[in-house]
Amino acid sequence: MIETRLGEFEEVILLLVGILGEDAYAFRVAGEFESQAGRAVSIGAVHSTLTRLEEKGFVNSKMGEATAERGGRRKRIYTITAYGRKVLAEARDFRISLWKQFPGFATLKGLQKSLS
Amino acid sequence: MKEKKQLSPPRAARRLLLFFLRSDLAEEVEGDLFETYKLKLKQTSPFRAKLHYWYEVMHYMRPFAIRKSILSLIHYAMFQNYFKIGWRNLVKQKMYSFVKIGGFALGIAACLLIALFIRDELSYDLQYPDANRIYRVVEVYNDNGEINRGVWMQAPFANSIKEDYPEIEKAGRYNSSELFGAGSNQIRRDDQTENTFEEGFVFADQELLEIMKVPMVYGNLAHCLDQPKTMVITRSRAEKYFPNENPVGKLMVVNNDREGPFKIGGVIEDFPKNSHLHFQFFVTMKGREFWEGEQNYWGANNYPTYLLLRPGTDPKELAHKMDKVVSKYLLPLWLNQGRSEAKKMAEAIHYELQPVTDIHLRNAGIQDPISHGDIRFVWLFGGVAAFILIIACINFVNLSTAKSANRAKEVGLRKTVGSYRSNIVNQFLIESVLFSVLSFAFGILLAWALLPYFNVLAAKSLVFPWGEWWLVPLLLSSCLAIGILAGLYPSFYLSSFRPIQVLKGNVSRGSKNATTRSVLVVFQFTTSIVLIISTFIIYRQVNYILTRDVGFDKEQVLLLQGTNTLGKKVSTLKSELLELSSVQSVTVSDYLPISGTKRNGNGFYVEGRQNVDKSVGGQFWVVDHDYVKTMGMKIVAGRDFSREMASDSSAVVINQRMAKELGLTDPVGKRIQNWEVFTIVGVVEDFNFDTMRGKIDPLLLKLGNSPSIVSVKIKPGNLAASIASIKDIWKKISPHQPIRYAFLDDSFGRMYEDVQRMGHIFTTFAVLAIIVACLGLFALSSFMIEQRGKEISIRLVLGASLKNIFRLLTLNFVKLVFISIVIAAPLAWYMMKHWLEDFTYRIEITWDVFVLGGVMAVMIALVTISYQSIRAGMAKPVNGLRSE
Repeated sequence: MIETRLGEFEEVILLLVGILGEDAYAFRVAGEFESQAGRAVSIGAVHSTLTRLEEKGFVNSKMGEATAERGGRRKRIYTITAYGRKVLAEARDFRISLWKQFPGFATLKGLQKSLS
Repeated sequence: MKEKKQLSPPRAARRLLLFFLRSDLAEEVEGDLFETYKLKLKQTSPFRAKLHYWYEVMHYMRPFAIRKSILSLIHYAMFQNYFKIGWRNLVKQKMYSFVKIGGFALGIAACLLIALFIRDELSYDLQYPDANRIYRVVEVYNDNGEINRGVWMQAPFANSIKEDYPEIEKAGRYNSSELFGAGSNQIRRDDQTENTFEEGFVFADQELLEIMKVPMVYGNLAHCLDQPKTMVITRSRAEKYFPNENPVGKLMVVNNDREGPFKIGGVIEDFPKNSHLHFQFFVTMKGREFWEGEQNYWGANNYPTYLLLRPGTDPKELAHKMDKVVSKYLLPLWLNQGRSEAKKMAEAIHYELQPVTDIHLRNAGIQDPISHGDIRFVWLFGGVAAFILIIACINFVNLSTAKSANRAKEVGLRKTVGSYRSNIVNQFLIESVLFSVLSFAFGILLAWALLPYFNVLAAKSLVFPWGEWWLVPLLLSSCLAIGILAGLYPSFYLSSFRPIQVLKGNVSRGSKNATTRSVLVVFQFTTSIVLIISTFIIYRQVNYILTRDVGFDKEQVLLLQGTNTLGKKVSTLKSELLELSSVQSVTVSDYLPISGTKRNGNGFYVEGRQNVDKSVGGQFWVVDHDYVKTMGMKIVAGRDFSREMASDSSAVVINQRMAKELGLTDPVGKRIQNWEVFTIVGVVEDFNFDTMRGKIDPLLLKLGNSPSIVSVKIKPGNLAASIASIKDIWKKISPHQPIRYAFLDDSFGRMYEDVQRMGHIFTTFAVLAIIVACLGLFALSSFMIEQRGKEISIRLVLGASLKNIFRLLTLNFVKLVFISIVIAAPLAWYMMKHWLEDFTYRIEITWDVFVLGGVMAVMIALVTISYQSIRAGMAKPVNGLRSE
C-alpha cells in the first residue's frame, strides 16, 4: 500500500521543488532548504524524501543535462505533478481552516490580512 | 598537482559510497555530492570540506539508497531469532550464565579499576602548560663504577647555567630541607596569637613558579615571590587563614618570630593530586642566605633545580654541554681546598636532564626528596588485570564448548533448513556479544560501587571520567571486541558440526575437546598459583620489614612535635616530663631514625687525611645526652655521651658502618673531622634510619641543640594516663600551641606504607583472579558430573561408595592442578626473586611457600568441585536412570 499523506518535511520539500522549477534536484533543494529554513539538512535526507514523494506520485523525475561543475555527471530533475499540486493545495486549505478557528490568532491583524 | 588533489573528494569516502549505493543512483548522487564538495571548498578549508563530504556519504546510508544485496545481508528477523535463542539459553541455564556473566563482570570490574589506577599514575605532572620543556637537573656521580644520581644542586648552580647557556629560558630552585626550616612549622596570622601546625613549607625561587606557570588565585605570577620576606600560599591555606578575603599583602608569623613576619605575595591554586610537588607555603629565596656566602658557595648541594628550555632545544645535547659546569665552578673550589683527587672527582660528575613528566614513575636510581610511583608496579598491575580478564574469557570459552553438546542438535537443524556456516558463526558471535554486553553492564556497576573501597586501598582519589568524550565509545568498543574474541573459538567449533551426525545423535558429547579444555584449566590454575605464591612472599617480606630488629626500640616512644617554638622552655619541658613516674627517659633531637625527620649529610675524613682520602659521606646528627638511652640503641664499643665529661662537647658517637667506611678497626679514641675535629668516644650498633630498601649509611652523633622534637620513652603500663599527664604539662608550658604528638612505631610503620599498600592491592586482585578461576572450575565440574550422570547412577547401583564416586570425579581435576603447580612454582620463584632484589633486607624464598601455595591451590580446587561431586554421590540412582 502506498501512503498518500503528506508529512511536514515532505510538504516543505515539495514546495521547494515547485519554487525551484527546472532547477529542482537534490543538491539545489537541500541548499534552498538551508537558506530558507536556516538549518542544515543532508542531501541524503532530501534525496530520500524526494524518492518517497515520487513513490507517492507527487513528483516526477527525469535525468537532466550533464554539467562540468558536477564532473560531467547528469542530475535528476524533479517536477511537481498535478496530483502533487492538489495535495499541496489541500494541505494549505486545511491549515487555513484550522487557523481560522483558532481564536487567539484569528484576531491578529497580520494574520487576518494574510488569510483574506 | 596539489591543487588537483585537493579538488577531488576523499577517495575512501567515495569508495564507501559506491560500495553501498544502488548503482542506478550512483551518477546523480555522486554529482550532487561533488557539487556540495566544491561549494564547501570555496566556503571553508579543504579539511572541513572533506569532513563534510564524509558526513554527506554517511547520511546516504538510508534504506532507499542501499543496494539490495547489502540489505539482504542484514536479516533483521534472523537477528531477532538469534537474540531470542541466546536469551532463552541464558535464562534456562542459570548457573552457567551466572558463572559466565559473573566471572566476566568481576574481570571487567577489576580491569576498569586497575585501568583507572594506571591512568592516574600516568597522568602525573601533565598539568604544566610547558610540561614538555620543563626538566629537572640530575647530577650523576660515578663513584668507582657505582653510579649515584641525585637531584640536589649547589645554590649558585641555577643562575650560573642560566647565564652560561642561552638555551635555558628559566631556571628555578627549591629547598625542602628541614635543616633550614622547610617542612613543617608553626604559623599564624600576625594579628592572632594561636599557632597552627602546618606542613609543606619550602624555600623557592620566583622563577620556579614561573616555570610551572602555576595558576594564580590572587596576585601576579610575575611578582609574587620577587621581594625578600614574601611567601606564596595555596588556595586551601588561604581559605583557612583568610576566609573570604584577598590575603595578598597580609602578614603571617612563622614559629613565633614576631620580628620577621612574611608578607603574602600571592595565592596559587593547590597542586593537583597527580603532581609530584605538594607544597603549601612557598617562602621566597630572595635575599635569603642560610649562612654567610651560602648563595655563592659551590660546596653544598641543597637545591633541586628545574629548567625551562627554549623550544627546540635538545635536552641530551644541553646536558652534555652542562658538564663544563664542573670544570668551571667545582674544580677550582676543590683545587683551592687542596684536594688531591679533585681532577678525578671532576671527571666522575655528569649531568642529566629528566623530563618533569618522568619524575613520578621513571625515577629508579635517582635520590630525591619526594615519594614516587613505580612504573614496574604499573606494569605488574596491568599484567594482573589482563590475567583476570583472560581467566574470565577462558571460563567463557570452556563453558561454551563444554555445553556445545546441548546446542549440537540446534546447529544441526539450522544447517538442515539452510543455514550457512557463516550464519551459525554469526549466531554464536551475537550470543557472545550479548553475554559481553550484560557482563560489561554489571562490571561497570560493580567497579563503580567498589571504587570508594579501592580508593581507600590504593590511597588515591580516583573517579570515573564519565565526562570524557572517549569513555563511552571506548567501553562500547571494548565490550564488542571482548565479546567477539571470547566467542570466536566456540562459534567456529560449534558451527563445524555435521548436521547428519548430530541429528543422528552421535556427537561426542563435548569430550573430544577435553584436551583444549584441560590446557585452559591448567593455564587458569597456573596463573592463580603464581598469584598465591607471590602474595605469600610479598606478605612475608612486608612482615619481615615491619618486625625486623631495626637496631633501636621503637615501642612506647611518644614524639612531641613542634617544640622549637618553646625556645628556652624546652629544657623545662624535659625536666618536668622526667618527673612523671611513668616516663622512663626523654631526649630532645630533631634527628630520628624514621623518614621525614631532619637529615644532614656531610663528608668526613680521618683527621689530617682530608687531602689524601676521598670523603666518607655520612649523616651528622645533633642529639642530647639521653638519645641513645631513649631510642634503645646499643653501644658496642666505647661509651655513650656523659654529663660528667666536659670534653664531650667535641666528642662523637659513630655507627659501625662509619667505622668500616673510614677503615677504623678500633675507632674509640680516634679523631675524625669534617670542618671541625671530633674525638670518637663510642660506637653504636647500626640501626635503620631510612627505608630498608637501601643500606644503612654512615652516621655520626654529636651533642648539640636541635629542639623541634621531644621523644619520651614511656614505661609499660597505663599509656592513656601517661599521655594525659604529658598533655597537662604541655598545656602549662605552651598554652598557645596545641599539643601535637605521634608514636615512633606508627611513624616507623608509615615509612613502609607504600610497600604495604602495594601488597594489599596485589592480594586483593590475586584473590579476585582466584575467585574467577574457581567459578570456572565449579561450572566445569558440575558440567562433567551432569554428563556422567547415568554412569554415576549405575556405579551407585552396583555398590560404589560415596568415596569411590568422589575420587572418580575429582581425580582428573586434581591432576590438572598438580600440573599447574609444577609449571607455576619456577615461574613464581623467578618473578619474586626479581621483586625481592629491590630490598637490601629481604627474606629468602624457602620451599615451604611453594608447598603452601600448592596445598592451597589443591584445597581450593577440591572445595570447589566437591560440592557437586558429593551431591552426585549422594543422589538417588533411580533419578539418574529413569528414562523419560
